[in-house]
Amino acid sequence: MKLPFHISRPRLLILLVVAAGIVFIGRLFDLQIIQHGYYDAKATEEHLAKFIIPASRGLIYAKDGTSNGVVPLVLNEPAYTVYADPRYVQDVGKTADMLRQIAGGELVGNIETSLGDKQHEYVVLARQISSDQQKLLKNAHLPGVGFQELQRRVYPEGNLGAQLLGYVDADGDGQYGIEQTLNDQLAGKPGMLKAITDVNGIPLSIDQHNVETPAQNGKNLVLTIDRNIQTYAETALKNGLDKVQAKHGSILVMDPNTGAVLAMANLPTYDPSQYFNVTDYSVFSNAVVSDPYEAGSVIKSLTMAAGLNEGVVKPSTTYNNTGSVTVDGVAIHNAVSALGTRTMTEVFKYSLNTGAVYVLQQLGGGSMNRQARDKLFSYFSGRYMFGKPTGIEQTPESPGVIIGPEDAQGNNVRYANMSFGQGLDTTMIQVASAFSAAVNGGIYYQPHLVDGVLDANNTLTGQTQPHIVESEVIKPSASSDLRAMLHDARTESFPGADKPGYFIGGKTGTSQTIDPKTGQYSDTNAIGTYLGFGGNGNAAPRYVIMVRIMDAKVTGYAGSVAVEPVFADMSNWMLDYLKIQP
Amino acid sequence: MAYYPALSLQQSFSSSGSRTSGAPDTRAWRRNQNTIRHRFGVNLGPVSNAVIIAIMLCLLGLIYLTQVTRSSTFGYQINDLQQKQQALLSKQADLEVENARLQSLEHVQQTDVAKAMTSPSEVNYIQ
Repeated sequence: MKLPFHISRPRLLILLVVAAGIVFIGRLFDLQIIQHGYYDAKATEEHLAKFIIPASRGLIYAKDGTSNGVVPLVLNEPAYTVYADPRYVQDVGKTADMLRQIAGGELVGNIETSLGDKQHEYVVLARQISSDQQKLLKNAHLPGVGFQELQRRVYPEGNLGAQLLGYVDADGDGQYGIEQTLNDQLAGKPGMLKAITDVNGIPLSIDQHNVETPAQNGKNLVLTIDRNIQTYAETALKNGLDKVQAKHGSILVMDPNTGAVLAMANLPTYDPSQYFNVTDYSVFSNAVVSDPYEAGSVIKSLTMAAGLNEGVVKPSTTYNNTGSVTVDGVAIHNAVSALGTRTMTEVFKYSLNTGAVYVLQQLGGGSMNRQARDKLFSYFSGRYMFGKPTGIEQTPESPGVIIGPEDAQGNNVRYANMSFGQGLDTTMIQVASAFSAAVNGGIYYQPHLVDGVLDANNTLTGQTQPHIVESEVIKPSASSDLRAMLHDARTESFPGADKPGYFIGGKTGTSQTIDPKTGQYSDTNAIGTYLGFGGNGNAAPRYVIMVRIMDAKVTGYAGSVAVEPVFADMSNWMLDYLKIQP
Repeated sequence: MAYYPALSLQQSFSSSGSRTSGAPDTRAWRRNQNTIRHRFGVNLGPVSNAVIIAIMLCLLGLIYLTQVTRSSTFGYQINDLQQKQQALLSKQADLEVENARLQSLEHVQQTDVAKAMTSPSEVNYIQ
């Protein structure tokens, strides 16, 4: 082809080279000048690595009444996951032998198979090995084997308070108890480091792109639980269960003047460090707050408190006990006949259902009617806070069940039953909190488990102040009368059970349970309860104790035979522990 | 003392002075002025200049790289120190756990001292 103009070949070559140069320069200009920002960001992104700085989970402490200090219930310790990239493992047999020798109990699956699996780049060989094990394995210099550090919860006191504490699962989330309820406070907030790294992923210290947000460790919580009281409560409960060949029981110790829970335990329990081995998941729940039941005759104390406060009965008030009372055609019997004229104090002593119904009738002006039901409901729901969660720092918490007087189910028969603790479901924490209000002078304190936060200087800060939910549950005079009645009833019912010179009062409860086969109340699986207080003189008591045993194999009433001895054991120990003078 | 007034260049060219030859000399000489002109023996051409500039650029680059590398080594030092700190914290955590276990009631109850203890038969308070 002939060009329309004359140009020599060298000159043409030069022109082509120059043209190519212009293209290259133009492209470079585009990449380096015009699109500089885009490629700069891409390059930075390539070299900029994000590192999560894990937050240390907060620790949980209990109080130690003997030293007025705190003792750890839950700590953290480093643990390691052992993994391997099978492509770099040189000697499968030797590696497996070494792992089995050092971390035999923590191995995951068939490690020979895992180590020989060249298709994968990451296989887990062992979990939760200790620092010492990790050091031994690291010193063995096994090619292709690496370690990932994490934290695990450790429990220096073993199973103590397992259900109120809860546990932390493999994802680091709290489950049940304090761990779940206050997970946000305990977990803290992980930090982040964005940094330019070298080829090995090691952050280079000085770069304008480096951003470091420090981790915020979780709060270290101090519970109101006293380690010594908790330990003794668990021991007393276990001994009590063993004596009556029962397997299920609960115990609660409270300070009635603040709502602080001093001890809270259930049996059977579990080892929170081995939560993954538990097969009966019901042991995870803290039955004291999650398991509502018909508390039985211990509720008579609260019905009586309502009657005393309304002025419709006095301790000396008498009624004619005929052994039964008929409400809307349904006969309600006593467990113990104790026929004749009986005082209100004797209603406690003989646990007379007819006496509780009598008080209810007096609330209605002398008969069972809507007024009586409304009045009892206003006390149970509005003052004793039944039917709603207490707000204690526990998960899950059951609100229980109380049927209102306007409900078709809330008839006279039900309310007659409710007056002595049947026909309504309450948790132990609800009943003990209401009872505390009834015997402390009439103030309902919200039950709580957290006392404060331990700061970096090991100083207790942010202490929880007692939260008054209802300041006039009953009048102080009614509260004083109730204490005296409960003290007299206990002294007469269980002479010699308490240390002399102290003012101990309480009430038994043996509630029937509904047989699932017949749908009727049955005596074969009664639940025994004891609810009482202790202190010095007829003043606000120092402690309230509630004990429940579910399946006692005893003849007689479970509340008296099986449960009361546990209360007495705990109460007498508390008198010495709190150094209460007679 | 003779006085030599400062002359402008234009003025020095137009003034007359001592002459060594017959050719007209337009330069004006002053008493303390060096009259011998020195010339450097080495002339730097364009290639030499380019090489020197290139060497200087290389030196500057080297200095820059040295500084950057120095700051990078701080990163390694910090990383090393952080690993040591982490190891010490892990050790501290282990010791705290061990300390707590040794002070736990369960452990204390198993000690010989605790086993030898007896419960008081009666507690009396001094009024």
